[in-house]
Amino acid sequence: MRILIVDDSRAMRMIVARTLRMAGYDEHELVEAVDGLHALEVVAQAPPDVVLCDWNMPQMSGLELLTALRSAGWRIPFGFVTSEASPQMRTAALEAGAMFLVAKPFTPEDFQDVLDPVLA
Amino acid sequence: MTYIPSADDLEVITREVWTSFLDGDPAGLIATSGDMPADKITGCVHLSGAYTGSIMLQCSPPAARDAAAALFSIAPGAVTQTEVVDALGEIANMVGGNVKSMLPGPSALSLPSVVQGQLSLPGTRMVREVQLSWRAEPLFVSLWQQAS
Repeated sequence: MRILIVDDSRAMRMIVARTLRMAGYDEHELVEAVDGLHALEVVAQAPPDVVLCDWNMPQMSGLELLTALRSAGWRIPFGFVTSEASPQMRTAALEAGAMFLVAKPFTPEDFQDVLDPVLA
Repeated sequence: MTYIPSADDLEVITREVWTSFLDGDPAGLIATSGDMPADKITGCVHLSGAYTGSIMLQCSPPAARDAAAALFSIAPGAVTQTEVVDALGEIANMVGGNVKSMLPGPSALSLPSVVQGQLSLPGTRMVREVQLSWRAEPLFVSLWQQAS
């Protein structure tokens, strides 16, 4: 399985990757993108099986990326990994087509809860 | 009456970020009061909307270097300025995003900015601050609100 991590912070991409390994997903291929526009390029070249995406990024936000993917017909499972996890944000994420929202800071168990059903 | 997160709220959120990603020791952050050096590193995110203001995180250069080293899992001596900016920005973003969740909405959260020294926020006033230390270095977190 191929997991795409989208975040403009290299530190956070590393933390997400490290936490995924701690959660037991070390056999999956982890690929990265630095913002929504870059993620679109990565998806076009080699579609991932799931996208883990920051909300607030330069160039193209996570919500704009999700909208662009759905508009282009991509149905890749998509989840947000964001420091903003208010009920309004969760509602907006789900209404846009996201499967889940993981709040920062997170634990390996947080990823297991949302990814096990997707990657099983 | 609008609820403004307390200084204790700022401390709880900062501790959660710290113990999750920077220092597994819950006793690593110590509540204290002290001086912040002039060459401090400041990370900041801004809120605009139902609540307009900022969340600011300040620490000494050694604390910023150690925080970046912890996030990137590298030796402190190998940390670059780019990594300090990335790390402090992401920490400010995490603390700010969690504080935002406690404030009235809707509001938009900005991308983080990181500077060395004092960041001036014209037209705002500090409404909350928590002073901590980490590895004997100062770490201050504050919430600012646009003056009405």
